[in-house]
Amino acid sequence: MPISEQGYRHWPGTLVERRRPWAPITRLGVKLAFKRKYFKFVLGLSLLPALIFSVGVYISEKIEDFKFMIRGRSQFLTVDPAYFKAYFTSDFLLFMMVMIMVLAGAGLIADDLKHNSLQLYFARPLRKRDYLLGKMGVLSFFLLLQTLLPGLLFFLLKLIFSGSLKFFAQYPGIPLAVVVDSLVLTVFFGLYTLFISSLGRNRRFVSIMLFLVYIFSDIFFGVFFGIFRRPVFCLLSIKANLQQVGSALFGVSGPYDVPWIYSALILAALAGAAAFVLLRKIRGVEVIR
Amino acid sequence: MTARIRAEKLSKWYGNVLGLSDVTLDIEPGITGLLGPNGAGKSTFLKLLIGQLRPSIGVVLIDGRPVWNNTALFRRFGFCPEQDAFYEDMTGWDFLYRLLRLYGGTREEAATRAERALEFVELTNDQNRLVRGYSRGMRQRLKFAQAIAHDPEIIVLDEPLNGLDPLSKRKTIKLIKDFKAQGKTVIVSSHVLPEIEALTRSIILIHQGKILAQGDIHYIRDLIDGHPHVIAVKCDRPRDLAARLVAEDSVADIRFGQDGSVVFETRNRDRLYGLLPRLAAGDRLDIEEITSPDDNLQAVFDYLIGK
Amino acid sequence: MNIELKDIHFSYGPVKALDGVDLSIGEGACGLLGPNGAGKSTLLRILLGFLRPGRGEGRILGRDILHDQFAIRRLVGYMPEDDCLIPGLDAVTFTAYFGELSGMPRQEAMKRAHDVLFYVGLGEARYRLIETYSAGMKQRIKLAQALVHDPKLLFLDEPTSNLDPQGRREVLELIKDISSKKDIQVLISSHILSDIEFTCSNVVILNKGRVAAQGEIQALKQVDYSLYEMKIKGETETFIRSLRQGGCRVEETEEGLLKVYMPPGLQRDGLFRIAARENIQIRHFVRSQTSLEDLFAKTVGVD
Repeated sequence: MPISEQGYRHWPGTLVERRRPWAPITRLGVKLAFKRKYFKFVLGLSLLPALIFSVGVYISEKIEDFKFMIRGRSQFLTVDPAYFKAYFTSDFLLFMMVMIMVLAGAGLIADDLKHNSLQLYFARPLRKRDYLLGKMGVLSFFLLLQTLLPGLLFFLLKLIFSGSLKFFAQYPGIPLAVVVDSLVLTVFFGLYTLFISSLGRNRRFVSIMLFLVYIFSDIFFGVFFGIFRRPVFCLLSIKANLQQVGSALFGVSGPYDVPWIYSALILAALAGAAAFVLLRKIRGVEVIR
Repeated sequence: MTARIRAEKLSKWYGNVLGLSDVTLDIEPGITGLLGPNGAGKSTFLKLLIGQLRPSIGVVLIDGRPVWNNTALFRRFGFCPEQDAFYEDMTGWDFLYRLLRLYGGTREEAATRAERALEFVELTNDQNRLVRGYSRGMRQRLKFAQAIAHDPEIIVLDEPLNGLDPLSKRKTIKLIKDFKAQGKTVIVSSHVLPEIEALTRSIILIHQGKILAQGDIHYIRDLIDGHPHVIAVKCDRPRDLAARLVAEDSVADIRFGQDGSVVFETRNRDRLYGLLPRLAAGDRLDIEEITSPDDNLQAVFDYLIGK
Repeated sequence: MNIELKDIHFSYGPVKALDGVDLSIGEGACGLLGPNGAGKSTLLRILLGFLRPGRGEGRILGRDILHDQFAIRRLVGYMPEDDCLIPGLDAVTFTAYFGELSGMPRQEAMKRAHDVLFYVGLGEARYRLIETYSAGMKQRIKLAQALVHDPKLLFLDEPTSNLDPQGRREVLELIKDISSKKDIQVLISSHILSDIEFTCSNVVILNKGRVAAQGEIQALKQVDYSLYEMKIKGETETFIRSLRQGGCRVEETEEGLLKVYMPPGLQRDGLFRIAARENIQIRHFVRSQTSLEDLFAKTVGVD
């Protein structure tokens, strides 16, 4: 045809059924996170422990070589499960994870509620769970970057620098512990963030709540501990619970003299409650008024 | 009961952003339609009229008295704004009742007026529910109720029919026309031009902060020289009709519509409208329909503001 | 028929929203009218493949509404009434994103987003952030995201809300253009009857959970073949007298409109002959029809 059709044109392609319907949501969320002010700086800061611990692995190898020449054994900088536990339960890392959640995740659901975009999502062939999985994907991306990646990296570096698989033979449970603890941290923080994000329409409100709940749970622990001097109150603190579980996974005793299984149960209960409320909140039906 | 509104050299700036520039006009009792593109200055104008904004230059007079900050005069105004501004935690009845109490008078008076207004807008069944639970249509009706409940002489309505279903619209239009019959001065601003046409023939057109036109729609249309009047005629032999019309000097343009009608333009409507019956009779043309598609407010808007 | 519903019922708990809806919608744009609370949003949710009716059956674009809801949602484009956006995105990214979510491959969605944005008139502004858009532009981008995946059923909910007269005209023209394509079924829900009359050939009027009327607007408007409305200029009184002598019944409204009822014997040309003889100008002459507003009022049975 010499002159193509003006005005509205049809699209000749076919719509596909995606294997991963949640993928575009995750991709967009990650892109938007990077656009936020200070995000790259905070992300860099949160990866600092990973850098330091990686260097520590290197030094520990070389120092060991050194120390071998000097007589006497030194416990200085041994890479063992306690080393991994130190990373995964560090106050700084956990706090930075919350910071990342605030920057990348506060608005994930709150913005959609505020700006009415849920009705655009659900007018598509998208299930509730795909939507939530997509949002979780954004958070998982960053959280795994801070947990799974460094954990496996330390393990690999240790093997590489020690030049043998001796470490693996010595502590075969470490890779599994890394994966499980990463999942625990990721799933818990992910659900925590999405849950709070679904409560408010204001991203700023959600950001503040994400901080406050985390910090205050620890403060309550401190207050009750100060009054009653019983370590069982560590169960009130999100941070403490995560540290207990993390330690247990690496086979090291936790910071508090309380069975770690209680911490695990509390975390599971909180996560379960958050998931339950989330599924109820995103009731697609009411979304189109 | 009649109040005349006069604006003299009225101008308003917000910092260096222009709101309204050099407006001088009179608004008589009756219904006046206010229209214009977004950002033209309509809301600024309305707020200046009811004394909520202070003019940068000039003055708004109600019966000769300046209106800015003149709280004694506010009693005589009713204003239905475009946005929602409610106390969400009150019930509909509460909200209206308390507003009415602000106008003074006894508790019984305020209560009766509230009841009457709510009955008119058909919110009686929902008057004890919180405003928070109201739908859009209900909020619009409550806004309208608060504008009229205290029986004001000057009523300013900004998009009053927004969100109402066709029957509520009809009811509200009828009420506004009743106001006119009672001698009140009503100013209605709307983007839906057919709805303004249903209310009044008297309009004010604002564009870029200035008054572009004021008066009767058809009179204004007549004055738009640049666009000759369009007349459309449906008949059984359109070509024959067109042939006869082509011979007329006063026909500026002829074309054929998609439905087989003859559409032509002329500056001399009297002559052409007189000619058509003679053609029908003389040439035995069966004329089915005669209309003037651009003798309406949308055309006035398009021709004056255009693209 | 693009949409066929038989005896649809739906209740939200104890509240019955749809009480036996029978619908048949085919070619041409169709307007959906009804008082608030008539069940329009519930019907919309069912048409969008969102809800399963409690009872009844139907097909939308050939897909079963009870079992193929996902397939229906793939074929539907929805332009909501409220403003909706995702902060931080420009128009192209926004539109392409929703195209992807509908099942378009990424590159195709991007390409199509550009096309659609040009079509709705946002071509120049498509790289700007949506938050900076005016009301009219926000309306258009809602339309763009509804069109990006080339839907077969387009649902527009109050498409001209918040638009100024120019914007209204432009959006209505766009809708008319889209409706003229043969393979899109357009459904418009609006309270502005003049918009419906301009864009739609058919209408469905809902009331209290049931269909109160449906069909072609022209057919429903009941043209009265012997009643005419006219405006004249000239010696009105004599003209009216002559018409009455000729056997017509004439009423004059307060706005100067003449309603002329012609007896079976008289043809139109008789009327024109009288006008020509008495030097009357006929400035407006149409067959009387019930307006859509009167039709609505009659159907919904109030007042």
